[in-house]
Amino acid sequence: MNSNFAQILFFLEAMIFSAVIFMHLSKKSSSVVNLYMLQSLAISILLFSSILEKPSLLLIFAVGITFAVKAIIAPHFFHKLISRNHIKFSASTYLNAPFTLIVVAVLTAFSYSHLFHPLTVIFSQNADAILLAVATMLSSIFLLINRKGAMSQAIGILSLENAIVSFTFLAGLEQSPALQLGIIFDILAWIFIAGTVAMMIFRHIDSFDVSSMKRLKED
Amino acid sequence: MMLLLIILTPLVASGLSFFVRKNSTVFLNTVAVLSASIELIAVMNIVFSVVKNGEYVLASYLAVNSIGAILIMIIAIVNFSASIYSVSYLKVEVRKEIIGISRVREYFSLLHLFVLAMFFSVITTNPILMWIAIEATTLSTVFLISFYNKPSATEATWKYMIINSLGLLLGFFGTVIFLYPSLRSGHLGLVNWQTISAGAGNFDPFVVKMAFIFVLIGYGTKVGFVPMHTWRPDAYSKAPIPIVALLSGSLLNVAFLAILRFKMVVDLAVGKDFSQNLFIFFGIISIVIASFHMFGQKNYKRLLAYSSIEHAGILALGFGFGGLAIFATLLHMIYHALVKSILFLSAGNVFLKYSSTKISKIKGMLEVLPVTGVLFMIGFLAIVGVPPFGTFLTEFTIFSVGIKTHPIVVIIALMALILVFVSFLRHISGMLFNEKEEGISIGESGAWTTLPILFLVVIFIFLSFYLPQFMTILLNKAALF
Repeated sequence: MNSNFAQILFFLEAMIFSAVIFMHLSKKSSSVVNLYMLQSLAISILLFSSILEKPSLLLIFAVGITFAVKAIIAPHFFHKLISRNHIKFSASTYLNAPFTLIVVAVLTAFSYSHLFHPLTVIFSQNADAILLAVATMLSSIFLLINRKGAMSQAIGILSLENAIVSFTFLAGLEQSPALQLGIIFDILAWIFIAGTVAMMIFRHIDSFDVSSMKRLKED
Repeated sequence: MMLLLIILTPLVASGLSFFVRKNSTVFLNTVAVLSASIELIAVMNIVFSVVKNGEYVLASYLAVNSIGAILIMIIAIVNFSASIYSVSYLKVEVRKEIIGISRVREYFSLLHLFVLAMFFSVITTNPILMWIAIEATTLSTVFLISFYNKPSATEATWKYMIINSLGLLLGFFGTVIFLYPSLRSGHLGLVNWQTISAGAGNFDPFVVKMAFIFVLIGYGTKVGFVPMHTWRPDAYSKAPIPIVALLSGSLLNVAFLAILRFKMVVDLAVGKDFSQNLFIFFGIISIVIASFHMFGQKNYKRLLAYSSIEHAGILALGFGFGGLAIFATLLHMIYHALVKSILFLSAGNVFLKYSSTKISKIKGMLEVLPVTGVLFMIGFLAIVGVPPFGTFLTEFTIFSVGIKTHPIVVIIALMALILVFVSFLRHISGMLFNEKEEGISIGESGAWTTLPILFLVVIFIFLSFYLPQFMTILLNKAALF
């Protein structure tokens, strides 16, 4: 792998990471979805680069499906959900923006610490990008924890999945196209099911705010 | 051929159930019972073949070994009872207008998919396919947990979905790291457990330890280890009873198997101490925390959910202690699956009669539900490990192995188990023996809601006193994993 290619990969990973940071800062539900779309686009480009290395019809198909599901179908589905329920703003968080950024900074520093550094032995040429993928993972988990909106939590899960896919690719552990299709089928099913359950929550409590869900405690 | 049958049968059954007319309950019931019977027969065929030949292989990525055979046997038996039970249980719920007739179709199509996913996750030898199948168990059960469409059920569903998805993604992260020596060495085709084990010597010790921690947390969420257990009581208290029996009796073990498969690799790479210490840690905190929750419990479904967490802890301790305890732990897995299904299905009859899951509302069970009451009492005595039941023997063996190497852990666990016994006794004695309230009619809901439980009780009591030779062989081989 030449250094230019490694730089491009790092740039794409940086884009994926930035998308999570902006998701943390975003107040509008539609912006969070758009950022997920951008992140998914970067993932698709990452995966597309593997076609250049080992071209095969099945791989092209798998990358095409990944792009269609993550960058087109999922964002379209979430946008429809937002417009149907008029939930322009659903971005309440447990921590305010400055504290959120501090936590993200700590998580990023943590991912570059000696604890995660041994992971770079898997593929040392992409060491920095691999650790950035770990930082993206941790930040996505924090997004899931910090957000009160059901949709933001769902995007947090999907962003975590994107981070793991990018880690897998950067570490040279990408799976065969058939397995990639299996995984993306799971993700597609997950998106529709999560959307449907989010709608059920909205019907029951007239909000996507999961902190208003108190009936289990009352039981 | 038989492996293909246990994959195709639930798949076809799910398709048939989905496309049938909405009110064809007779057809749905027939498909459910027939498919569960076919699966049970096919599974027993596979089990005997594994006993004879050591392994049942369909393709390089579909095979059943001894431990897999034990697992598919558990799934098939619990599914057989749960499917037959579902038929009459849903009939009563439709009659009482708790659910509409159209929901029966939805229930059975998802139930078959759930069973398919569990079978597939056990018989696949590829870790990624296994992950996909376990994720599919989550997806197929989401709408079963929200089945009653109440606000609290939706909350439980969201919690179940988010916590399990997060856990499984962490498990996925650990899984891909486990693949790196195989993929690095240029392995072509699907990686299986054998190729991963063969490359165990090439693992960086730190990386493989980290990967195992992610796997343990990930699949441990599905098992319900503390502190990743919080979804379990909520989901169990909201889902239809036969589904809960499957979640506790089968899915818990399926997720446990996933962890055990990775344990085998990490043990080869860095020695047994690392994984055993982690198992002991998660085991003891699961037992202790669950026992405290059980003491103050007000809902019998949640009580049984915490009991599942406690038993997941006992299983973890058993595998953590190693040696002779592994045989006992595998046997405990079978006993727990049977007993917990007995208890949950009996709890279903209690709910049908009293229309409440609150412990304080259930009185005079032995008078009101004479058969279920007795079966529930047997289940209670067995789950707390009272002699002469098999659970006593397995727990005794696990702790007698552990006392030599980890005496403090065993003493803490035993104290927690005393608390579990006291908690169960406190709750169950009132349910069974208190004076029944006015207005509660005496009698079972029907023969078909008691026969499946009786079937499980007969198997459990039989296995408590006599282990057939084929099972001894299977358990012995599986204990060497």
